[in-house]
Amino acid sequence: MTIFSNDSIQQAMRASGMIPVFYHPDIEVAKAVLDASYKGGVRVFEMTNRGENAFQVFTELLKHAQQYPDLMLGIGTIMSAENTRKFSEAGAHFIVSPILKAEMATECQRQGKLWIPGCATLTEIVTAKDLGARVIKIFPGSVLGPGFVSSIMPVVPGLQLMPTGGVEPTEANLSAWFKAGVVCVGMGSQLFTKEIIETKNWDNLQQSVEEALAIIQKIRK
Amino acid sequence: MKFSKQQIVGAMKGAGIVPLFTHDDPDDAQQVLEAAYRGGIRVFEFTNRRENSVEVFKHLISISKKYPDLMLGIGTIMDGPTTKKFIDAGADFIISPILKVEMAKICDEHNVPWIPGCATLTEIVTAKDNGAEIIKLFPASMLGPGFVSSIMPVVPGLKLMITGGVEPNEKSLTEWFKAGATCVGMGSQLFTKEILTQKNWSLLQQRVEECLSIAKKVKK
Repeated sequence: MTIFSNDSIQQAMRASGMIPVFYHPDIEVAKAVLDASYKGGVRVFEMTNRGENAFQVFTELLKHAQQYPDLMLGIGTIMSAENTRKFSEAGAHFIVSPILKAEMATECQRQGKLWIPGCATLTEIVTAKDLGARVIKIFPGSVLGPGFVSSIMPVVPGLQLMPTGGVEPTEANLSAWFKAGVVCVGMGSQLFTKEIIETKNWDNLQQSVEEALAIIQKIRK
Repeated sequence: MKFSKQQIVGAMKGAGIVPLFTHDDPDDAQQVLEAAYRGGIRVFEFTNRRENSVEVFKHLISISKKYPDLMLGIGTIMDGPTTKKFIDAGADFIISPILKVEMAKICDEHNVPWIPGCATLTEIVTAKDNGAEIIKLFPASMLGPGFVSSIMPVVPGLKLMITGGVEPNEKSLTEWFKAGATCVGMGSQLFTKEILTQKNWSLLQQRVEECLSIAKKVKK
């Protein structure tokens, strides 16, 4: 298992600008999605803890990911210190949560893992920052909108924000977020559409990933 | 203490507008404060967003002695120690974009109004339970007047200061006051880049006058 420093994970998130967020109970589908994403240029991937066998799928996926030494594979939808410890000890490179839960900060610190809590107000964001979060997920992103990010950035300079939820792989939507000042975006169902997953059209998926990453590189110039 | 909490809350409600402003140049900051005062402003929020904000604020406090009816507070305060530092410097009130309970205690000890920033009803009620008489709604443009009108019947008597993206026109101000706002904070929309770059203080005074008269007209 490759070990990444929190700095290098943060740097990779910023560099690619997009972290795919995915869950599937079928390990073969999960592997195929990870492979296609990697081929499309993804180097930071978030698998989520959203099903009964999520832990098993994640540990299998970690084994599969060993063929990609520069891939950082984290776990999302974590809500407790207990699950933080479990997935961290299994080898998750970083821990993402849709909520702000202080006990997870303590556990991540103990494990030396990057903790990315989900926040929806500036009070939550500053509390997360004070608890040691260096990257903060803005969730649900599409409800808060790019206007939320541009309002708070001047108040707390240097925030590293990752909106997730409803972020679209279009130039209009991505450029609104990046102009507002986000460091990267999380993208799930908008990228891994039901249709692509059902038809197992992995080439198409790879292409969608490439396109999304290319849009981000373009709008950052 | 120069002003009582009641006086400050009353003045905010009376004017309907609390300008908020930051600058790292003490002379320009003074010009803005004085132009706003000439335009009718009696409650002014300077914000702590620069390295030297405490020095500039101290300068403004010394200037404000000329205006015995001017209430000068500080905004963008995030923690207890900074709250204490600005109270010692002479701030008449403390505004924050967040809800941080340690700030409430310090403000209470010094009998200075604490105006925390909230964005959900849970945060608002927590702020109220911790002694906030006026609560800042931030970022307001994202929440919208509909947020205010939804929560006002739930927590009667709530006094909200609306900050973030409020526009100095009749339409925007009418919407917020109709929804139940006590006052609005207005920053970059009032102190535009253009006015500041050109140092056009008479135009600034004029805009402040206009804005106050719109607020007077639209609020009941």
